[in-house]
Amino acid sequence: MLHFLFRRVIQAIIVMVVISIISFLVQGRLGDPVQQMVGQSVSLEDRENLREELGLNDSLVDQYMRFAKNAIKGDLGVSYYYKEPALEVILRKVPATLELSFSAIVLIIVISIPCGVIAAIRPKSLLSKALMFFSSIGLSVPIFIIAIFLVYFFSVEWQIAPSFGRGETEVIFSFWETGFTSWDGLQHLFLPSLSLALALMPLFVRLIRSEMMEVLQSEYIKFAWAKGLSPMRIYFVHALKNTLLPIITVAGIQAGTLVAYTILTETIFQWPGMGFLFWDAISRVDTPLISAYLMVVGAMFVITNTLVDLIYGLVNPTVRLSSHGL
Amino acid sequence: MKNIAYLLASFFILTTSFGIQSAPLSMAFDADPVSLDPHEQLSEGTLQLSHLTFDPLIRWSQNGDIEPRLATHWEQQDEVTLRLHLRKNVEFHTGNAFTAKDVIFTIQRLKRSTDFRAMFDAIRDVKQVDDFTVDVITHQTTPLLLNILTYVFPMDSKFYQGRDEIIKHGETFASKNISGTGPFILKHRESGVRLDFVRFANHWDKQSKGNVDSIKMTPIRSDSTRLAALLSGDVDFIFPISPIDIPRVKRSPNIKFIGMQSTRILLLHMNQARRVEFRDQRVRKAINLAINQSLIVEKILKGFSEPAGQLSFSQFLGHVPEIKPVYDLEKAKQLMIDAGYEKGFRISMMSPNNRYIQDERVSQAIVAMLSKINIAVDLKTLPKAQYFQEFDKRSADMMMIGWQSDTNDSNNLFEFLVACTDPNTGMGAYNASSYCNAQIDERIRAANVEMSPSLRAKLLQDIERILAKESAVVPLLWQSLAWGAKQNFKIENIVNEQNFPHIGDLVVE
Amino acid sequence: MKHINKEQVISTKSKHWIHLWHGFLSDKIAVLSLLIFTFYCLISLAAPLIAPFDVRDPSFMSLENSEIAPYWIDGDSRFLLGTDGQGRDLLSVILYGTRLSLTIGIFAVVIQGVLGICIGLIAGYFGGRLDNFLMRCADIQLSFSNMMVAIIVMALFQTVFGIASYQHLAMYILILVIGLAEWPLFARTVRASVLAEKQKEYIDAARIMGIGSGRIMFKHILPNTVSPLLVIFTIQIANAIIAEAALSFLGLGMPVTQPSLGSLISSGFSYMFSGAWWICVIPSITLIVLILVMNLLGDWLRDHLNPKVYKD
Repeated sequence: MLHFLFRRVIQAIIVMVVISIISFLVQGRLGDPVQQMVGQSVSLEDRENLREELGLNDSLVDQYMRFAKNAIKGDLGVSYYYKEPALEVILRKVPATLELSFSAIVLIIVISIPCGVIAAIRPKSLLSKALMFFSSIGLSVPIFIIAIFLVYFFSVEWQIAPSFGRGETEVIFSFWETGFTSWDGLQHLFLPSLSLALALMPLFVRLIRSEMMEVLQSEYIKFAWAKGLSPMRIYFVHALKNTLLPIITVAGIQAGTLVAYTILTETIFQWPGMGFLFWDAISRVDTPLISAYLMVVGAMFVITNTLVDLIYGLVNPTVRLSSHGL
Repeated sequence: MKNIAYLLASFFILTTSFGIQSAPLSMAFDADPVSLDPHEQLSEGTLQLSHLTFDPLIRWSQNGDIEPRLATHWEQQDEVTLRLHLRKNVEFHTGNAFTAKDVIFTIQRLKRSTDFRAMFDAIRDVKQVDDFTVDVITHQTTPLLLNILTYVFPMDSKFYQGRDEIIKHGETFASKNISGTGPFILKHRESGVRLDFVRFANHWDKQSKGNVDSIKMTPIRSDSTRLAALLSGDVDFIFPISPIDIPRVKRSPNIKFIGMQSTRILLLHMNQARRVEFRDQRVRKAINLAINQSLIVEKILKGFSEPAGQLSFSQFLGHVPEIKPVYDLEKAKQLMIDAGYEKGFRISMMSPNNRYIQDERVSQAIVAMLSKINIAVDLKTLPKAQYFQEFDKRSADMMMIGWQSDTNDSNNLFEFLVACTDPNTGMGAYNASSYCNAQIDERIRAANVEMSPSLRAKLLQDIERILAKESAVVPLLWQSLAWGAKQNFKIENIVNEQNFPHIGDLVVE
Repeated sequence: MKHINKEQVISTKSKHWIHLWHGFLSDKIAVLSLLIFTFYCLISLAAPLIAPFDVRDPSFMSLENSEIAPYWIDGDSRFLLGTDGQGRDLLSVILYGTRLSLTIGIFAVVIQGVLGICIGLIAGYFGGRLDNFLMRCADIQLSFSNMMVAIIVMALFQTVFGIASYQHLAMYILILVIGLAEWPLFARTVRASVLAEKQKEYIDAARIMGIGSGRIMFKHILPNTVSPLLVIFTIQIANAIIAEAALSFLGLGMPVTQPSLGSLISSGFSYMFSGAWWICVIPSITLIVLILVMNLLGDWLRDHLNPKVYKD
């Protein structure tokens, strides 16, 4: 077990090093930082001195080591636009993105489980067919088209939901501002989280359906019927419980897609989270911020994946075997 | 029953207090100020912020007159000295009293600012006469001194003293803290996300009917998202409205549209240093003739702009009414034949895609128009952050630029856009044509010291005529400004062609 | 003996496919999807021939004709689907845009496939440390969503090389980025098949006969993985087209001068509220239908070929 844990941690570190090299190259490759710092009138000699002072004449390896040391200390450079440490800027935006993703996940769970179960237990019914039909279409509509049309109908035509921003927010502790505590904040959450949910839901409806149908064929469900348990209990407790494990695995993989989709959703709804910040940073060529975002998102992925792997390894020892190529 | 009585009572209170009731304002503009320092960047965003949290010495009224603000009146002492009398009993947000010292501090700071320096170089010195009187002394006669003084927003010298350094894109005290005399106090700023203001209770201007008690300002960059925010009732006041959406806004009964012609000229530079073809006046003329400014205005800007055949807008002294944009494809083709370019040639072109109204579409239309005279154009459109770097490097044969005269005068256009490039004086800093004509430079210098309006007008008009005759650049259009607001927000009285809305005076019904 | 065996295999195989084809013909939705998909492919291939205007010639844009509504509304027979804000014939730009989107989608998946198949074969066939290493790489790559990787890589390309030089290479970079982002799906599926086939006797026989590993892999093992690969291939093209559209929508994809379906939708977005809805809606529908038929085809193939697609 310890061996397994050790390997995973080493792997995570290697991945982080690769990501940090990319971030370093982004930060260093783009433009001359000296040019950014001084005006046109500064003489060549002064520039050269400044280069020497900043260590820009050192070898790439030395420069990278310095970058990595700073990164470990949490110093990822200063954003050109915000004039603040890039890491702080990004961390301030994390709550907005997390709240958006959280609401979307809640919506997905609340809607896709009943839909998937219904489609599985009555596969021939009209409702199930309609559900499957819409999930096929849903799977084919890119998220930004969903978002555009939601804004068009809900905000512009019917005027029942706000189309941008987070609305009223309240500080819970230190930098965490929440939109959950006010009606206005919740209203603002509605459209962005709905678009995110609609984009990912069809996949889960279909997945729950197919897993559920398989489970319903199994012996122990037949046994449960024979025991005379109530249908609700069989479907939603016994059968559902056993469909969830593979679904959670897929959900873990889809978490990455969710992060990518937040960039699109946040851009359309001007949601002040990490995705919108990233998009903004690209158009402003705010290199330190871009490279810091890369590090932060990379770290998030690596940490969650390593944790998921470790938990799986603890729960299910066969995983350890399969990862060894058997 | 009790509830109904309560409702009636509150309704009664509401209706009786109508007119003096204050209201919050939620507005969305396309950009927010990059810094709280009013002298870090000369940009629309900075100046809009200045008009909220500071008061200018004097300002432009809606009809183009100069209106006294912190300077109550002024008189010319001699050729180079202007005496300003300052308003008394004015307080800064910190509670410090406003005096002549603050004006001197501010003008001296402006002279240090890289962006404002060019304008304030004309001022030699500012002297205190007494606590509420200052003398502004210029190097030579300066006809546009008052225009320049509209950029002086006195800063709280006690507050900023000793920590007033200006660093572009740097973290300074002034970029994070702000204290002025203006109608609104900045409460909260989340860069790129929102700015919150509340009304300054001790503001000196008690005459103002403005009743906005707090402002929530959100930058929204996408035209569609911004318009959706207004249509859905999320915000009360937006700028700008994309021309495409103007018909839609006009159809909405709850929304009002206010359009106003601005003096910002959009033009194309044809780089003669990069392309030998552009040195031939016939080619430049042909390009001018092949581009149909009126069609661009009609189709892309939906008529909300003015097609231009010269740089100076009609209110400017340099404007020559006879020079009109001409579209004549046949003549253009003939000129290309005469110049020996019947088969045409291939050029590169760059334009921003989020700086000027519909800039990307305008440049795409120009590509199509030039293809009719066999000039193949490789167009690249970039976001402004990257575009202006490329512009400084003169990276393409043809480049687009827009210019709003800082002084509301033609000469500012000529100095920056068509004068021979001279890094020492900053003349021709945005002349991406590499066009250089001694006759023009001579007249620019003469106009800078000429006090007689009629003689100045002649000099400036001469420049326009030379430019038109030589087809030095391609003037495209003067942009229009378009605001939208809910019906009960009387924005029509507070917007102006500089696009510095005087929100302190905004009345909400 | 061996020869007979092989022929038998082939005949049962072809029977299997014929049987499948008959099943396919009886499924109306599947047939319709295939017809629509074929139609998309044909119009993409023939876009330069059938498009009423040549979009590569800038003089075809003419502002006089901007924002004309589709034929059935405006009655202007020159422009069947109307024109966009630049006065470009919408039908022509959509034809070229579909061509571009499909090209990017197909080539990106070809890259995914080639890479994935090679890595999967090598990992599965040789096993051991190499397999372990390659599959860990696949895990890591999969843990970053492909859209995320594509967005970040495109953003980096743009910032590092500047938009100006990027615009020339946009299409190739898009193909490469989307292609490199999702090879693990192919690799895992192929590897699983290889592991299953490897146990079988005929492979041992081939090895004993001294046939090279490359030959064994490509001639004997690979053909057995065709059906799962076909499923992945179909679905991945749809995903690649969505990814390209999303990137273009963010302004990280094709430039305005060579619009794909995604960039058409993106520029049409600004006309959504103005009344000229067709500029946004028609390209959106074109994109949605294309992806829908590919997904339906993929579904049908998965249900009937019943392969094991390894997604986790």
